[in-house]
This record gives sequence, structure tokens and C-alpha cells, in this order.
Amino acid sequence: MPGRRVFVTGLGFVSPHGEDPAAIFEKICLGESAIRMVRTGTPELGADVLLASIDFEPGDRIAKAERVFMARAAQMAVVATRNALDNSGLLVEGLGPDEAGVYMGCGLGGAEILQQAYSTYFGRRRRRSRPTTVPLIMASGPASQVCMQLGIRGPAHTYSIACASSSVAIGEAFRSIRDGYSDVVIAGGAEAMLNDGSVCAWQAVGVVAKEHVDGAGASCRPFDLGRTGLVLGEGAATLILESEERAVSRGAELLAEIVGFGASSDAHKLTEPSVDGQERALRNALKDAGLPAESVGYINAHATGTPAGDPVEIEAVKRAFGPAAKRVAISSTKSVHGHLVGASGALECAITTLALRERRIPPTANLTEADPTCDLDCVAGAGRDVPDLEVALSNSFAFGGSNATLVLRRA
Amino acid sequence: MTPYAFMVETLAEKYDVGRDSITPEATLAELGLDSLTVVELLFDVEDEFEIEVPEERATFETLAEAAALVEELVQAKGA
Repeated sequence: MPGRRVFVTGLGFVSPHGEDPAAIFEKICLGESAIRMVRTGTPELGADVLLASIDFEPGDRIAKAERVFMARAAQMAVVATRNALDNSGLLVEGLGPDEAGVYMGCGLGGAEILQQAYSTYFGRRRRRSRPTTVPLIMASGPASQVCMQLGIRGPAHTYSIACASSSVAIGEAFRSIRDGYSDVVIAGGAEAMLNDGSVCAWQAVGVVAKEHVDGAGASCRPFDLGRTGLVLGEGAATLILESEERAVSRGAELLAEIVGFGASSDAHKLTEPSVDGQERALRNALKDAGLPAESVGYINAHATGTPAGDPVEIEAVKRAFGPAAKRVAISSTKSVHGHLVGASGALECAITTLALRERRIPPTANLTEADPTCDLDCVAGAGRDVPDLEVALSNSFAFGGSNATLVLRRA
Repeated sequence: MTPYAFMVETLAEKYDVGRDSITPEATLAELGLDSLTVVELLFDVEDEFEIEVPEERATFETLAEAAALVEELVQAKGA
């Protein structure tokens, strides 16, 4: 769809692989896993669980007294956004551009705060709750805190669409610039729900991976015959999106261009993915970008490593791409950074940006014996250098059947 | 740790209040705590000492008064 061109001019991370963009990308390309076996929960009821957790320390980037009013996800969002603004050259005296919009994705909000509140209520049989409970558990906390901490005064929107949250946030941010409503948008996502109450609930869904015989780091294996499920992660990622005019006039470094966004709903089942729904998201995205499937060189797949999910995505790509499906390289970086749920789309879109920039496709780690039903070009091993890589997709397909695909082009 | 010492540590470490300004005579307002933060601090104290401060008793102004109230409630709990 014609309109103003939209560029990524900054990336910021608080990820299981750290905060430095180049170092994160290198580790992911080397297949270095951030997944560990972590003891979680109470002494009586806790368990050892596979997680991609972060030893997060905001340091002097968020004043201590301010952290009292911020859930973990919001703190991560603020630090990732600070990093992105710094990366883009838009952080001036600790503040960002005040006219910017903030479009953030978040699934569960302040999950750990809700757990604390309930444990006081039920555990101590006490009808009292901290006054900060409600403002901290809101899924919109990350977007609000980004605005407050960084002096941003444009529209602040939160998309809470499970695993598609931050891909939709980026897609809608892209559209707001393309269609002339904004010149600069801070777009991303944050998720921090590795508190044991949430982890326990995820285990109950029956989609969580078992520890692999080769160790925790080998446990998330998208497209591999031996895959047993997903591994939960946490973190935040932020992209700075700018109109071409604004970015070029200030001499910003153009990291990639966002050229399309497609979404769809399965109208099928809560947790069972649908080929039809995913195919339509892919088709909508390519149509929005005005690009043929043949132009796409890489897909950063949603593939979480569940036996049920991965083949559905492969089949959707086959149907949406037709004969071009055989020529597109696909990988799932969740194999090493886990599934960040509401932040996964932003993290993977940022990784896709770096893949285009470096013309280097990161691998699906632990893919040693491909599932015959995942019979496309699923990149394994050490990844792949692709000197003519121009266009890439980033997929996010959520529980509830909400699908989102972003189309990026090398700048 | 005494209630007073706990409050000094919490004010300094969690709420970033300068240790130099924390004295027994200082009021929580003087230390820069707004009403929401005072209630948060009260929850920290209640959690630490496993007591409940009745709303009608939460009339203290200085740190020393707050510490005395907490000590009284801790002793009442043990009695």
C-alpha cells in the first residue's frame, strides 16, 4: 500500500543474551543458548524449570524510588527503550523525542505483582493489598512508564494479544507513520512472567519442553524431530521507527525499512493453530508490502518448538508462497532465546533487522534431525551468509488464533 | 533488626532516601515520601514483622513515632 516510507533507526534490548545488539546477534548466530534449568517457586512447591531468564539490573537507569511503582516488565521496557533511543541518537539529556508515539506489546503485565497480591490474600488470609497493585499489574504499565520515564507525550498504546502482542504493536506503529499520523514511534514489547504462578500455569497447557539429554541449552528444538515444546523467556525489545523524511533530515542511520504488515484471526481453537489463519496473515503482509513471495529471502519463524505448532507454520508458508516456498530460508531463533510471549515479536523483528543488515541468517539451534513434515529450507548449524538478502518476514502466531506477519526490507 | 533500623535500611535502599537526612525526628513527608509511598513503606514493615497496623493507629509523623508503634504491635503479637 503506498504511503510514506518507514525506517527502523534504533534497536534496544533487554534480552536473555544481554543488551548489546552486535553481541546478541553474534551469540544467536553461533547458536549459543541462553536457556538454563532454573530453580523457581517456593521451597515446598517449587520446581526446576527450563527458562531463558535474565539477571536484570536497571542500575542507575531507573531511580530506585521509581522502581517501586514499576513491575519488572515495565522496568525492562524502559531500559530497552532507553537503549533504543541511545542507539538511534534520539536520547538527549536522558529524554526521548516528546512528540513520539509509544506502541508496546505485553501479554500478562505485572504478573509477579499479581502473584504477590494473591499470595498475601490467600496465603496470609489477609484482606489487604498494596495500593500499587492495580497500577503495576496493568498490561499498559510498560507503555505508560516509557512515557513517564523518557518524557514521551504522543499516543501510548498497548496491544495485549498473547504471543502476537508486539508484532501487532510494531505493525500498527508502522501504519501510523506510513499513513501520516506520526513521524516517530517507539515500538516494541516487554514480558516478565517467569514468576512460578505463571510458569506453573504454562506447564499445565502441556506445551513446555522437557530437558534434553544433551542439557538445558539443547531443549528448545524447533523443526527437529526430537522437539518437545517451548521454553519461556523474558525481556524487552524496542525499535525506533521514523518516517523517511524525519530520519533522512536528521541524518539517522537506516537499519532496515518496514514495508508491510498483515494480520488475521483463525476463528478456530484457543491453543490449536490453523494453517488457514497463518496463510492469510502471510498473504496479507505480502499484499500490504506490494511484494511477491519470490522476493522474500528469509523468514524468522514463530516456531516455538512444539510438536503441533511448527508443521502448521511450514504448511502455511507453502500455501502462501506457492513454488517460492522451496527457495525461502527459515529459522526460529526461539531455539536459543526462548519464547518471550508478548515481547517475542519485537525481539525477533529486531533480530530480523540485524539479519538484513548483516545479510546473515541466524540458525535454528539444536536442529539436528529435521522433522519430515518441516521440509522447507530450515537453516541449522552456524546459520548462513546470504549476500543478496533483501527482504525478510517476522511471524508471530498467538494463542487465541491471532496472527501477525511483518515485512522488512534491507535499507 | 529493630523496626527503626529496618525502616532506615528500607528508606535508603528501596526508596532512595539519603541516609544523611534520615533521623528519628524526621517526618516521612520531610523525607520526600508521598502518601502512596508511605502506605507502601507500611506494607514493607508489616511484611517484615508480620504485624498489621490498624488504620486508626497510622497517625505517626516522625520515624521514631512509627518505630514505637511497630515495636508496640510486635510485642502485643508475642504476648
